[in-house]
Amino acid sequence: MDIATYKNDVWGREVLLGVSWELLWLICVVALVIVAVHAMYMATQKRAERPSKEGKHVQRHVLIDRIMHWVMAFSVIALLITGVLPIIGIEFAWLTLHWIAGLVLTAAVLFHAIRSVLQKDLENIMIRTSDLKEPFDENVKPGKYSLAQKSMHGAVTVATLLVIISGLFMFAMIDTPWWDRTNSLSEATLGWMFFIHGLSTLALIALLVFHLYFTLRPEKLFYLRSMIKGWISEEELSAHHDPQRWAPDKTA
Amino acid sequence: MASFDVMPDVQLFQPVELDDALNLADRYAGDGWLLGGGQDTYGWLKDRAKHPQAMIDLNGIEALRGIRESEDGIEIGAATTLREIIRNELLQRDYSLLVSSAEVVASPQIRNVGTLGGNLAQDARCWYYRRGLSCYRAGGNTCYADTPEGMNREHCVFGASRCVAVSPSDTATAIAALDASMVVQNVGGQRVVAAEDFFVGPATHITRMTSLEPGEILTAIRIPAKWAGKKFYFEKVADRNTWDFALVSIAVAMEMDGDTIVDSRFVCGGVACTPHRLRNVENAVRGKSLSEESAEAVATLASDGARPLNANQFKLPLLENLVRRAMRA
Repeated sequence: MDIATYKNDVWGREVLLGVSWELLWLICVVALVIVAVHAMYMATQKRAERPSKEGKHVQRHVLIDRIMHWVMAFSVIALLITGVLPIIGIEFAWLTLHWIAGLVLTAAVLFHAIRSVLQKDLENIMIRTSDLKEPFDENVKPGKYSLAQKSMHGAVTVATLLVIISGLFMFAMIDTPWWDRTNSLSEATLGWMFFIHGLSTLALIALLVFHLYFTLRPEKLFYLRSMIKGWISEEELSAHHDPQRWAPDKTA
Repeated sequence: MASFDVMPDVQLFQPVELDDALNLADRYAGDGWLLGGGQDTYGWLKDRAKHPQAMIDLNGIEALRGIRESEDGIEIGAATTLREIIRNELLQRDYSLLVSSAEVVASPQIRNVGTLGGNLAQDARCWYYRRGLSCYRAGGNTCYADTPEGMNREHCVFGASRCVAVSPSDTATAIAALDASMVVQNVGGQRVVAAEDFFVGPATHITRMTSLEPGEILTAIRIPAKWAGKKFYFEKVADRNTWDFALVSIAVAMEMDGDTIVDSRFVCGGVACTPHRLRNVENAVRGKSLSEESAEAVATLASDGARPLNANQFKLPLLENLVRRAMRA
């Protein structure tokens, strides 16, 4: 199975065409197998007592961050639906829907990035050497985000930035309300853009599977609640986080 | 590009029953090739630009041939030749628009063997695509015709979406103007598709021109009685009068009440990836009579929304003039 597909350009030279979409099925199967293995492993483990959601609440995500999270989530899903369904044979007029969803994602990512810098929230999501002890020592608790969450965020960030940057190059090639199609990239450059776009799409599909799985795991559901309602309980805070490393607003 | 005089190694099936053909089409799906008159087939194979495993010759299936009157109009088998259509008295009397469009297809020799189904379902004639380049339509990621130096004189002025090829079928415009339906069958049954939905643009299906799925066969074309015997106009403009594809063509069906146009369908070929309906012209001519004054009033509406390429801006005045001529007729 190839990672990339190639073609001959107009001069007869071999150039990159894009990612090999045979990988789509491989990625889906591998991701689902990993999820299934993890689920089976967790089923064999002793179930830890879950902290109560009752009592005082502490703020984990403010409203604007939650809105941005869901805007990004739905735009990624819209992008995957409009981008991948035609590839697997479900054809419809997808292109306009795809670039609109892409622009929404780009705007949301820009807003999120600027806000994170201004709010100094970047520190919470950066992976530090001290985080690496977490998986090996159950007494080491994370700050606002666990090592797994930081890793997931890092991977999603890289894949999303790649898909956005390559997508913007491809966007310049087509008709939009703001400019006419240019068809100006060389075939080789275009091939690289399609390859990066496709590869990062495959990565996002795998990451989406993992994200959905861990979001819906029973012991992690309070994080999903916090992304909807904004809060976790004080008991959940003390059970899963180190107050020395993350001191949220308890008056929220 | 290499071109060969001999056929490639391909398995030939010559079913005489439609069920057998449907089973073969189902078995080979995308690797099968439906053969009508072969006029859009042999070029592809000679140039080795398409590589089907199996060829399913539909010409021996009697059920796919012939012109029959039905309760609500007429049904034409998809394997009926263009010559049979041209010579059919019923079509000459009631649906002369289709006859006129079939008369200008290619050359007499091609019309003798070319079928209506094949003419309707033929592939794009873009130079770059036919040469075997990996353009969008061939599954690639670029359009060679839609570049500043691209040879796009014959390409579209409406409805481009990455690919700028046009629907090359002469009869498609007439079929769309007559509000025909296409009968499509596969092993699971049949579906009837309006002609306007049968032809699809690149925004939806960039690698094919019709909504025919792999494994499906276009078996018949049904033309409703609504337009039988109405006023028709067909004209095709090409670089030469025979054996050439339309630069622009127009097929018009008009229902008249005395001198007044009550209803109409204006469909153009050679300007879009599908037969292109001029709905704004249709709306504008309702209630008008055929006259120079009406022609001038509506002609420029035909090119509304057009987006010509570098080398095909001439198609806009050509299109407008064809509308003028239809309104003077």
